[in-house]
Amino acid sequence: MTDLTLDGNALAGLLAETLGADLTAAPRRCASCGRVSEVGAHRLYRGAGLVLRCPACGDEAARIAVLPDRLVLRLSGTWRVEVTRR
Amino acid sequence: MREVVAETGRARTIVLEVRGWPGHVAGQHLDLRLTAEDGYQAQRSYSIASAPEDEVIALTVERIDDGEVSPFLVDEVRAGDELEVRGPVGGYFTWRVRDGGPLLLLAGGSGVVPLMAMLRHRAARNSTVDTRLLVSARSAVDLLYRGELRSLADGRGLALHETLTREQPVGWTGFARRMDAEMLMEVGPPALARPRVFVCGPTAFVERGADLLVGLGHAPAAIRAERFGPTGG
Amino acid sequence: MAHITRGFKGRPRREADASSIPPGQYVVSDFPVLSAGPTPRTALDAWTFAIDGAVDTPASWSWQELLALPQETFTVDVHCVTKWTKLDTTWTGVSVDALLDGLETEADFVTAWSDGGYTTNLPLEDLTGGRAWVVHRFGGEPLEPEHGGPARLLVPHLYLWKSAKWVRGLTLTLEDEPGFWEAAGYHNRGDPWREQRYWND
Repeated sequence: MTDLTLDGNALAGLLAETLGADLTAAPRRCASCGRVSEVGAHRLYRGAGLVLRCPACGDEAARIAVLPDRLVLRLSGTWRVEVTRR
Repeated sequence: MREVVAETGRARTIVLEVRGWPGHVAGQHLDLRLTAEDGYQAQRSYSIASAPEDEVIALTVERIDDGEVSPFLVDEVRAGDELEVRGPVGGYFTWRVRDGGPLLLLAGGSGVVPLMAMLRHRAARNSTVDTRLLVSARSAVDLLYRGELRSLADGRGLALHETLTREQPVGWTGFARRMDAEMLMEVGPPALARPRVFVCGPTAFVERGADLLVGLGHAPAAIRAERFGPTGG
Repeated sequence: MAHITRGFKGRPRREADASSIPPGQYVVSDFPVLSAGPTPRTALDAWTFAIDGAVDTPASWSWQELLALPQETFTVDVHCVTKWTKLDTTWTGVSVDALLDGLETEADFVTAWSDGGYTTNLPLEDLTGGRAWVVHRFGGEPLEPEHGGPARLLVPHLYLWKSAKWVRGLTLTLEDEPGFWEAAGYHNRGDPWREQRYWND
């Protein structure tokens, strides 16, 4: 039975507001299975904080603590993020 | 809030004016943050229903029974109210005419909203790219944008398919069951045509749609999904 | 101060008597389901609970052996770091004191670990003195998988992330080893009455 989770699209606003860039289209190569998936395609879990997992194998891609004044991100796998310079 | 427009008995379109609006891409969403008098806050994301070419920004919200936010947006907000919004955001579940097709759009319930933005954008650009939309809803009263979808489907490369899973009106000629492989084969296009696929709706619908399509030979990388659902604790 | 949204009330909630719920919390009547990953499914005939690590004699119980231990049914309030509190939750399980009974250790710390890879760390002291249980029933019914079934750790005097769902064992350690959320930016101990949510609190 599949858990009814959301996906990385639901983090678009939080990440864009904090990091100044929309990450949902950023590809990540999974450290565990090698598959490349965009952030928006990753499964999103909500616990104390937020966890993104590879859609192919469930490996943890990001662990995000949401503090009142900051985000703490632990990222694994190979992320390719493009941010426009202003 | 510029105005509100009733869509169905349970859904309403909210038309907003946003200061400093940068424009958006079809498929993107807004985050709304609501604050009660005691400071309690709730936040929800709503897909933008309007095309980038439209002059207004429209969100279509469906009331979820026992919902915390949707009953407020459907029943309470009125023209002149101010809402705190963040966005537009989303760089993955988006489509522009220049991205090309063919397009296969699968909508579960209110999942049709971001896909409607794509279709309105397609129409505004006079694109005739081969596009197929399958909408799944419980009953006919839940179908959003029926009239507009019918007129968009009028001979300009858009094929509209509807399935009602719980009850169908007398004389119904659409599908009458949960989405399955046979239905998707009938809707097409085949995997050989390498369509760009967008699936949106409750997680269970999205997972089912993606699995069925992969089973029919579509490449997982060609399928983009956006899951709607409760935001947890 | 954020803009107040005219007419928005939010979920039914009450600021109960200020002294009876921890600071910054609001009371809910449903039971939100939070998780760091997919719900594990372990068959009861494959399930074991272990106490290992810095102990002279590791111990292990099968499901039947756990149920054969003295059981307690008790009612407590639980507090989640995401700010909801649920009052008067009733659980049935085995006191961690009973599980630790007779075990010799010099460890001061524990890592609770679960199916699916989740971990959380606690001082051993926080698991003793009648303050922690391995529970398998909620509200008189078997604990549902989404809420941590077949069994979870319950440590109600700390934030609920310390009450590891799908718990399979306690590893006693000489050094404190931050668990899943503690290593990510959440507080090492998590006392809701001192509002210890994050690492810099």
